[in-house]
Amino acid sequence: MSEEPTYEVVWPKSARSTDARPPAPRVGSLQGKRVAFLWDYLFRGDELFPELERELTNRFPGLKVIGYETFGNLHGPDEARLIDELPTRLREHGVDAVISGNGC
Amino acid sequence: MLRASVTAEAAGIPSVSVVCEGFQRQGLATGRGLGFDSLPIAVLRGHVDSQSVDEMIQAFHEITIPQIVRGLTESIAINADTRLEPAALDVVVRGNIDEVQEEFHRRGWTDGLPFVPPTHSRVEAFLGVTGHDPWRVVGTARPSGRDMTVWSIAVNAVMAGCLPEHLPVLLAIAEAFHDRNYGVEHSGNTTGADALVILNGPVIDVLAFNHGAGALREGTRANTSVGRWLRLYLRNVCDFTADEHDKATFGNSMHTVLAEDEAALREIGWPSLCSDFSMATGTDAITIARMNSGVIIGSVFGSTPEEILPYLADGLVRVSGWDLTHNHGLGSGQFRPLLVLSPLLARTIGRAGWSRDDLREALFAHARIPAWKFEAYVGAWTNLTSGRRRLHDLVAEGHMPAVFAEGDDPNRLVPIVTEPSKFLIAVAGDPNRANAYAMSNDGPHGYWTSKPIDRGYSTDLVCRV
Repeated sequence: MSEEPTYEVVWPKSARSTDARPPAPRVGSLQGKRVAFLWDYLFRGDELFPELERELTNRFPGLKVIGYETFGNLHGPDEARLIDELPTRLREHGVDAVISGNGC
Repeated sequence: MLRASVTAEAAGIPSVSVVCEGFQRQGLATGRGLGFDSLPIAVLRGHVDSQSVDEMIQAFHEITIPQIVRGLTESIAINADTRLEPAALDVVVRGNIDEVQEEFHRRGWTDGLPFVPPTHSRVEAFLGVTGHDPWRVVGTARPSGRDMTVWSIAVNAVMAGCLPEHLPVLLAIAEAFHDRNYGVEHSGNTTGADALVILNGPVIDVLAFNHGAGALREGTRANTSVGRWLRLYLRNVCDFTADEHDKATFGNSMHTVLAEDEAALREIGWPSLCSDFSMATGTDAITIARMNSGVIIGSVFGSTPEEILPYLADGLVRVSGWDLTHNHGLGSGQFRPLLVLSPLLARTIGRAGWSRDDLREALFAHARIPAWKFEAYVGAWTNLTSGRRRLHDLVAEGHMPAVFAEGDDPNRLVPIVTEPSKFLIAVAGDPNRANAYAMSNDGPHGYWTSKPIDRGYSTDLVCRV
């Protein structure tokens, strides 16, 4: 059998153009903060978010929840538009922190 | 939901994303692709759909809520992905054919089949035919955040066995991936739909795509290699692998490209499928959507449209199940099933004077299911809150047309799509067989998108790389 050729092959992937950014500063304490719930209208969020609101408002005096209905279904047919509008909506509501769910 | 979290973080607002156990790795990978390493994730134990209320709430308090609080209040240790990745022109493997194949399999860079080694000279020769600038960026691949360069398209095309002449078709598909209407970032959802490309225009004959017998079977180079390229590109550049973004429970095998029988369409006088997406009949175009499943409508017996119609309507109903949940419960009117007719069936319908729109009107009237079953799909048989509404609610909220709320009889028949034009009809396959194929689409997770194909020699600067 004759000698087989040697192949020098290149990478089939591609570089990432997105620069890594640091996360936003954390809030330190949730006391007195305005917390937005963002929901994809999936996987029992309608049962879990009320439970979460009860727990957080009990534990952290002055904490206010801005409900998921304020921001719409972030995984439905209007996803792109609602995501684009999200920074403005969060600012309008003076949001300090976001809890986003549910991925299953 | 990582996309919402990343948007908040980019606006300077801290976030926590809540995901089930199986999605931790995908969540972190999505954050990385969008430019944020190590975003905090709070985990739901197991999968909430298989838990009692008590089980779910208990785990939520014990595991998830503490992680939510920590994620919002405690500083984050950045665990940046510092693995140095190769540059595009780096030689990543050097060896004989077996060694190259083995290493690509080991690294997850191929699909399990043998491939053509993408050497520098092969990729350069592939690009030389059409004159495209290898470093032009078609867009950013989602969710990986990688550049969709012409070079990367060519590397995967060489691997898939494409010819250089196929590049314009591949570029059009990449343009569709870039289009947010399509939603390529959803290509790894758990139900495992796979993309189907439908081809129209003179390009079909020029590049020898098969539109006849076995139209959706591998065996013709153009249809098969372009279909294989699509899967390789999702794998290698969009990062849809089981290690990162592909969460398919089962998945489908790749689809070969479906080319329409344009001669049959001309004979019948029907427009081509791309005309439903603002592309004139006769345009070289790809149309792409992710398809959940399909059913064969076999041995249709009839010499008139009226005799054929029940078979076609029944096929469309049989392919419509969870798809209704997804497209009418979660989505809103995004169910656009595809009906592929053999040329024989299309001719039989067309010679009776029926236009394609006439057929769609008839399908709208006949492809129906009982209202109680429709409401079960968007209500009792799903945990989608939006789906828990009744048909009357969906009509009142403007999500469905009035035809869905005509009466209160749970056994009344309602359509499966919101209007006749939602049915998409293609003509392909063995010209002498009386069969059809119905396929359901995955709604916003790979929504119908069409792009023109430019077969002209590129005016990009041609450079040796």
